[in-house]
Amino acid sequence: MAINAFLLDISRCIGCEACAAACMTGNELPAGTQYIHLTEQTRGEFPTLAGSFKNHRCYHCADAACVKVCPTGALYKEDGMTRLNREVCIGCAYCTDACPFEVPQMVNGRSSKCDACASVTKAGGEPWCVRTCPSDALRYGDRQEILAEAHRRVEAVKARYPKARVYGESEAGGLGVIMVLPDDPEVLDLPANPDVPLLVNTWQKVVQPAALGLTALSVAVTGVAAVIARRNHMQELKQLHAQQAKAAPEERQE
Amino acid sequence: MGKVQLQISRRTFLKSALAGGAGLTLAAGQLQPALAAPGAETTTPWYFRGQIKRTYSVCDMCPWRCGIIAHSVDGRVFKIDGNPADPKSRGMLCARGQGGVSFMYDPDRLRSPMVRTGERGEGKFQEVTWEEALDQTAEKLLAIKEQYGPESVAVFGHTSGEFWFADYFAQAWGTPNAAKPSSSLCTSPREEASNLTFGFPVGGHEPIDWEGLRCLTLIGSHIGEDSRNTVMQDFANAWARGAKVIVVDPRFSSVAAKADYWLPIKPGTDTALLLAWINVLITEKRYDADYIAQWAQGFEELAAHVAEMTPEWAAAITELDAGLIRTTARVMADNLPQSVIMPGRHVTWYGNDTQRMRAAYIINALLGAYGREGGIYFNKSPYIEAYPHPPFAVAGSAGGCSAEPGAESAELPLGPSGKARADGARTKFLRGATAMQELIEPMITGEPYPIKALIVYGTNLLNTVPNPERTIEALKKLDLVVVIDVLPMEHVAWADVVLPEATILERFDDLWTVSHKTPYIALRDQAVEPYADAKPAWWMARELGMRVGLEKYFKWETVEEFVETRLKTIGYSIEKLREEGGVIVQKGKPYLADFKSNSPFPTKSGKIELYSEELALAGQDPLPIYTPTTEPPQGYFRLLYGRHPVHTFAKTQNTPLLHQLNPENDLWLNAGVAASMGIKDGDKVYLENQDGVRSGPIKVKATQRIRPDAVFMSHGFGRNAPQLSLANGRGASDAALISRYALDPISGGAGMRVNFVRIVKEA
Repeated sequence: MAINAFLLDISRCIGCEACAAACMTGNELPAGTQYIHLTEQTRGEFPTLAGSFKNHRCYHCADAACVKVCPTGALYKEDGMTRLNREVCIGCAYCTDACPFEVPQMVNGRSSKCDACASVTKAGGEPWCVRTCPSDALRYGDRQEILAEAHRRVEAVKARYPKARVYGESEAGGLGVIMVLPDDPEVLDLPANPDVPLLVNTWQKVVQPAALGLTALSVAVTGVAAVIARRNHMQELKQLHAQQAKAAPEERQE
Repeated sequence: MGKVQLQISRRTFLKSALAGGAGLTLAAGQLQPALAAPGAETTTPWYFRGQIKRTYSVCDMCPWRCGIIAHSVDGRVFKIDGNPADPKSRGMLCARGQGGVSFMYDPDRLRSPMVRTGERGEGKFQEVTWEEALDQTAEKLLAIKEQYGPESVAVFGHTSGEFWFADYFAQAWGTPNAAKPSSSLCTSPREEASNLTFGFPVGGHEPIDWEGLRCLTLIGSHIGEDSRNTVMQDFANAWARGAKVIVVDPRFSSVAAKADYWLPIKPGTDTALLLAWINVLITEKRYDADYIAQWAQGFEELAAHVAEMTPEWAAAITELDAGLIRTTARVMADNLPQSVIMPGRHVTWYGNDTQRMRAAYIINALLGAYGREGGIYFNKSPYIEAYPHPPFAVAGSAGGCSAEPGAESAELPLGPSGKARADGARTKFLRGATAMQELIEPMITGEPYPIKALIVYGTNLLNTVPNPERTIEALKKLDLVVVIDVLPMEHVAWADVVLPEATILERFDDLWTVSHKTPYIALRDQAVEPYADAKPAWWMARELGMRVGLEKYFKWETVEEFVETRLKTIGYSIEKLREEGGVIVQKGKPYLADFKSNSPFPTKSGKIELYSEELALAGQDPLPIYTPTTEPPQGYFRLLYGRHPVHTFAKTQNTPLLHQLNPENDLWLNAGVAASMGIKDGDKVYLENQDGVRSGPIKVKATQRIRPDAVFMSHGFGRNAPQLSLANGRGASDAALISRYALDPISGGAGMRVNFVRIVKEA
């Protein structure tokens, strides 16, 4: 099975937002919903400045936290991309809590996120955002080829940006969006070493089988269960957060 | 600006539209798919819902006009893509182009012809039939012509149907007072500077030969914020190839962040920088001497003129580092002739703009860029005949960035009663296309002769022409105001007759012919039926023409017939053009080598005129000089304005999709200045200009990206039209704050960066 990826060249992006608009219209997103958000970033002080645009979107993690916590299989991996089948989403919103990049949003009671234009790419097309990007900052294709292109671009852009690097090759178990960064990830508002949050693994291995086994079953019968499960989940999550906050400092220092 | 309120007496259709009233499902119902509850949503994507119809046309979301393919299913457009065969879009589109569908399905659109029932400006209208609206308009036009002559009717036109009113109808009718904001409120100085220096205008598409470019210099050009699709593509490729980028801007713009050199210049001093660059190129003998010897005249005068204008001289004026000025001149020279200063687009800044543009062009000439691969190519119009209409009553001089080359420099045309333009051409300013802002005064004073009627096609009058208060005064004095538009913009409230227009996706239109490196012709086919009772401009112009005795110009019955006649002259048909992908690309003559015996520079001397005899004879400086502009008073900032990448002019702020991406503008204020004033990022403030005009509230963006002496906002916000349900009241209006302008005595351009604002903290 092919493993695909996006190329997102932050060094080249000029912030025109064509990608965001093409995504909205191509995917008929309801008013108020966006899968791509651009934010201007500024470093330094006048007049010694550097600037770029953060392109916040689903990064299609190989080890996707949202997929791990999804109790119904609405979120799943396919061809390296993180897909979403809204028809089987029950609106538990675990994914919105679990995602380290805060990507999934709840829209009309169900999860909503980029699915890498699954039906367009399966029909042989490119994702809407890639197809329209005037700066050639976005591409989509075989992950190995995308990685090679990313490394080529990093080498080429180092004359301008000495700290340029590829991001997403291995971070968070490998992202489905391979980025060309002009600077260190920390200054570009990206985690230097993103990992699937500890609590997600704990959640999946321990809490979910125990607490959700029954409720997941009852979801098929009544939507009320989802509401209850959500409430329980939020409480458990808070406890986990508290535990993790104590445990985290030691474990993160390696 | 007075409060503008539209009230439609027949029924409050806007409310019913938002509530999903009968007959309005096209707009409101389909714009937002019903997603009320889980399970209610349709999961079949639009492209699987039925047969997809592909329609070739040309985007109208900005004046750049990329070729597009509209994808529709069952009579509804879902997606617009760039047409891969089109030399401008090459299959891609910007955010605004992607928003074209949303623009068409805006529930706030004008849906029916209307006539005024209340006082002008009150916005009280009655919906009427097209017959009634056109009959009433024709009757008034004829009465005005009878009493004052045809020249007393002014026609303003903008957007892609402007040809039918500002060119075709106006010239058939016989008024030389046809104007386009794309001339004197935008490009006139660069066009006239080019005409004076090279004998040809820049034309619509800045002719940079991007493929081989090695050094790009931008002065107040904001690629990325000004999101012209092709330019962003070309820039990205040149940049990735390693072309050097020099950006001169008081603001650290999106493209400044990509630059190798950013020169945060003091606003208004650009000409001093340009003259210093010329000084370095000449004194260090870094210019293309062979090229200058062969193709230019006036070099000795130029060299003497700039002898004292050293980087040190300019540094004191521009507040830039002299070393940086020298270094950047050397970088430009190191890469010649693949090294150019981009002509820019909106260049009406300080009233001395033609001189600044001449200085920039002189540098391009010293770099030997014109007609050289990787420099600046010679663009060429595509070959196709005009429709064989009888001679017009008056020659055109409206110009505009879509006009054929030469339109700006035509002899001053006279109307049928022997009157020349009323804008002061040849008296208040030397040459150039019709200056829209100079036609306002005659409406008020009746001098040099009265203008009694105004037809406004697609021009956002009160958000475009400087000093909107004066424009309102003029609107009050007119005998007839006809507004043709898609949306209920502010000036609609001042109309006697309102005619709703079909958008580009809802109409077949004249061919789009583009002067270019590869000249081309694009089809503008119709994708879907017009919304409600909207009609295309060609239909309106024809129906009006038939009612005012201009039948001989409208022998054709449909625009298809008009286009078919034109296509026949190059052995084409509409059907053939459809089959071939909507675009005909022809061969150009881009380089010096393409010109054999005759000079590519059709000036009097046949050379590039570094020294302008014509300017000398007219009493203007024959070589560019730096003229200081007024400084902001104590406590005031210079008001700079520009673009946000998802918006065009004052046209798209209400487009739902684009509104979502950028709902309001913000005020760029230097972070240090903000801190010293006790203003935090995100605070809301009002702005008050030097004449006491207020606008806002606007959110402060406290940023390192701007000099301390200026503030910046994107244009088109701070709207005062309640029927624009999304845009109304969001942000601040630069247009309202531009109550003054400086007239360029050469081109007639209105320099608008001469306004100053102080910040008033919200009470």
